[in-house]
Amino acid sequence: MNIDNTASQMRKGVLEFCILSIIKQGEAYPSDIIDKMKAANLNIFEGTLYPLLTRLKNAELLTYRWVESNSGPPRKYFLLTDKGAEFYKELEATWFELANAVKALTDLEQQHSFNNNPDTNQDNNFNNA
Amino acid sequence: MKQVININFQGRVVPIEVTAFELLKNYTESLNKHFANEEGKDEIINDIESRIGELFQERIKNGAICITDDDVNAIIKSMGRPEEFAEMDDTSSSSSSNSSSTQDQTNSSSSSTFANQQTGTRRLYRDEENKILGGVCAGIGNYFGIDAWIPRIILIITGIGFIAYLILWAFLPSSTNKVIGGVRKKLYRDSDDKIIAGVCSGIGNYFGINAWIPRVLFLLPLITYLLGRGQWGSFFDIGDLIRNALSPGSLIIYIILWLVIPEANTTAEKLEMKGEKVDIDSIKNSVMEEMKGVQGRAEKFGKEAAAFANSSAQKISSEVSGIAKRNRSGLGDVIAMLFKIFAYVIIGIVGITLISLLFAAAVGSIGLLPLKDFLVRDGWQNVLAWGTLIFFIVLPLIGAITWIIRRIAKTRANSKIIRWGFGAAWTLGWICFFAFLSIIVKDFRAQNRIEEDVFLTNPKVEQLEISSTSADSKYYGKKWFKIEPYNLLNDDSVLAPNVQVRIKRAENDSFKVTISKVSNGINSVQARELAQKININLTQKDSLLISDKGFVINKTDKFRNQYVVLTVYVPVGKKIKVNKNFGWGNRVEFDGPFIKDDNQEFFWNNDYDGYEHNWDYGKTYLMKADGLYTLDGIPADESKSKDTKVKIGPGSINVKDGNTEVNINSSGITINDEEGDNYRYNNSSSTTSSNTQDSITRKIDIEKAKVKDSLLKIKERNNKLNQDVDKQLEKLSGGDLLPNLPLLVPMINFL
Repeated sequence: MNIDNTASQMRKGVLEFCILSIIKQGEAYPSDIIDKMKAANLNIFEGTLYPLLTRLKNAELLTYRWVESNSGPPRKYFLLTDKGAEFYKELEATWFELANAVKALTDLEQQHSFNNNPDTNQDNNFNNA
Repeated sequence: MKQVININFQGRVVPIEVTAFELLKNYTESLNKHFANEEGKDEIINDIESRIGELFQERIKNGAICITDDDVNAIIKSMGRPEEFAEMDDTSSSSSSNSSSTQDQTNSSSSSTFANQQTGTRRLYRDEENKILGGVCAGIGNYFGIDAWIPRIILIITGIGFIAYLILWAFLPSSTNKVIGGVRKKLYRDSDDKIIAGVCSGIGNYFGINAWIPRVLFLLPLITYLLGRGQWGSFFDIGDLIRNALSPGSLIIYIILWLVIPEANTTAEKLEMKGEKVDIDSIKNSVMEEMKGVQGRAEKFGKEAAAFANSSAQKISSEVSGIAKRNRSGLGDVIAMLFKIFAYVIIGIVGITLISLLFAAAVGSIGLLPLKDFLVRDGWQNVLAWGTLIFFIVLPLIGAITWIIRRIAKTRANSKIIRWGFGAAWTLGWICFFAFLSIIVKDFRAQNRIEEDVFLTNPKVEQLEISSTSADSKYYGKKWFKIEPYNLLNDDSVLAPNVQVRIKRAENDSFKVTISKVSNGINSVQARELAQKININLTQKDSLLISDKGFVINKTDKFRNQYVVLTVYVPVGKKIKVNKNFGWGNRVEFDGPFIKDDNQEFFWNNDYDGYEHNWDYGKTYLMKADGLYTLDGIPADESKSKDTKVKIGPGSINVKDGNTEVNINSSGITINDEEGDNYRYNNSSSTTSSNTQDSITRKIDIEKAKVKDSLLKIKERNNKLNQDVDKQLEKLSGGDLLPNLPLLVPMINFL
């Protein structure tokens, strides 16, 4: 089992959700989306973003419009369709369910480990050693 | 040392190192392979490429001289290589694309660069590298793996393939366009190869032709003029040259192009200027780009329109903006679409009308320049006339067209100085215009006339025919400016066709003709002098009276609304005919609220003046006691055929219907009728008995109705006259003066 592979699988699962949530806040230009993700410490390649956006657009979750730019050709700005908003709601619900579940589970483990700390300390040390 | 080349990447000109370009090319090819089976492959690659182009531009903006290997590598690193972001893709598509890409790599190594772009399904491209005309045949050859000459020969032999060839040329993507983004060529002024402003050389660059071709086209009026001069062999003078050779049309077009087309300053712009040869494909590309822009604007427009709707605004706007994308058909979409089309059509029509009106005004007034000397005295009048022409007519025209083109082309806004300068110049134009009007009107203030009797050799003939000589042939020179009715123009004199014929009933039994020479002037003395100078010849041959078609006005005396009225007194029982050649000329005059013109009375006092009206040129009429009749017995003036007669005099209206006559004047209404009653209706005095009062009221009511009817008729007639006057004014102010050859030549070639 490769750790990188697993981590990227995890990231990949939430990527569409992240993109939709950024676009939901307002019309977005792809490099804006990348910047926001980077700011949130979620690093992806731009090359990954464009196919994803196109797929979401083809699934009618997103649409775009051309905005004239001061330099060069017009830019594509993406926005959510009604269907996309619906889709996002469902994803959001699923995400919070999942997040709560994960949090509850991991917290439990932490609590457990914290509670058991005095007792297991020795064991841990022992194990580590 | 590294070689730098310029590439046109996604509509941007990018200077790039050759090695970096190779890297970029390999990268885009790898992307092509990676997304080969993806549904929106072209779109994804296009998006990525335009992002790369944007990053390139950022780098150049930050001061980089060109794009280096490092730059490309950094960009590729941030975009990610296909194998890097493959893991992020959907498992289903990534597996298939991976398999296909590996498959590709094996067979692409052998084929040309052209072929290895096609993965999975083969696509038909135009082969730009082996092309003769558009690369269609070479592309077909490539597609079927045969020699390009086979499709070429088939095309030439069958011949029918020609249209198909054009269609394929237009619709097949170019092979080079696939490698490096969209190709666009821009129109710039070429400052390196300029004579005046580089407009012609820029046009030459754009169409890939020699700069002298547009130059010659612009100078065509000058050349024709010079050739014409050669024929006449007369002396070369500057005023004439400016007047005739610098055609107003081509001059204005040149200045507009000068203002609209940007100058190529940077290397990138110069490259864009020369760019790739413009073929159908690149035109198609730019049209499609334009359509995208229009689409965007239309969507924006739709949104704005939707903002006016209240509750469902949100929904409508999203629907409107989604039309192009989702292609749904719904009632809302259709309405929005129709609305958009409607709005664009209206805006277009209004714009075009406005421009053509301005253009007509400018060209018309410039075309009238040769006549200026006959109207305007030297000194202030001349200065103001020029000021009006340049600042009031030509400048706004150039400004308006420039503005519209800039709006359409979305070039940068004018600088403040130009705008202020323009405003100031136009204000000056207004001042000139009004000063010119007031100063010229002074010269028309007074009017005077001279009446002369014409000696007729045998005034007792049965029929008199009035004809006109054709104008002196020297006034029909070969001129570019043949604008009716000014075509009778010579170097220092102009023939004014202001001769009118009026017919009146003679008191005795012999024909009589009088000439009235009328002129305006600063004062009545000057007006009289000018009237005296009118020289018009009348000759009689039996029953034919021949008059000059017009009279000559020279540059020293100027044109001051001179005109001649021939009044023909026709005895009762005799015939009169005015030939059609008298009907040709339109009367030329300057009219305005301050210009005195006694002639107006002729028009207004239709029945009062004793002249005959509504007769036609070229018909023979018989004079009867109550006016002219055709030989068939139909009265010339149809209003006379009815019993009702209305006379409008100064301060009084007289209506005569059969035996009843009503007279309205300041003292009241007087009614005379057959029975000999003579009632006088007056507001202040009502001394009549109640018995008669009833009948009077009844009669008054009837008469009132009649008066009302008559007045309505007068109103109708006056309206018609007004329309006629308006038409004449329109003709004079240059509505039909537009087309003349030196203007049309450059227009056809460049617009």
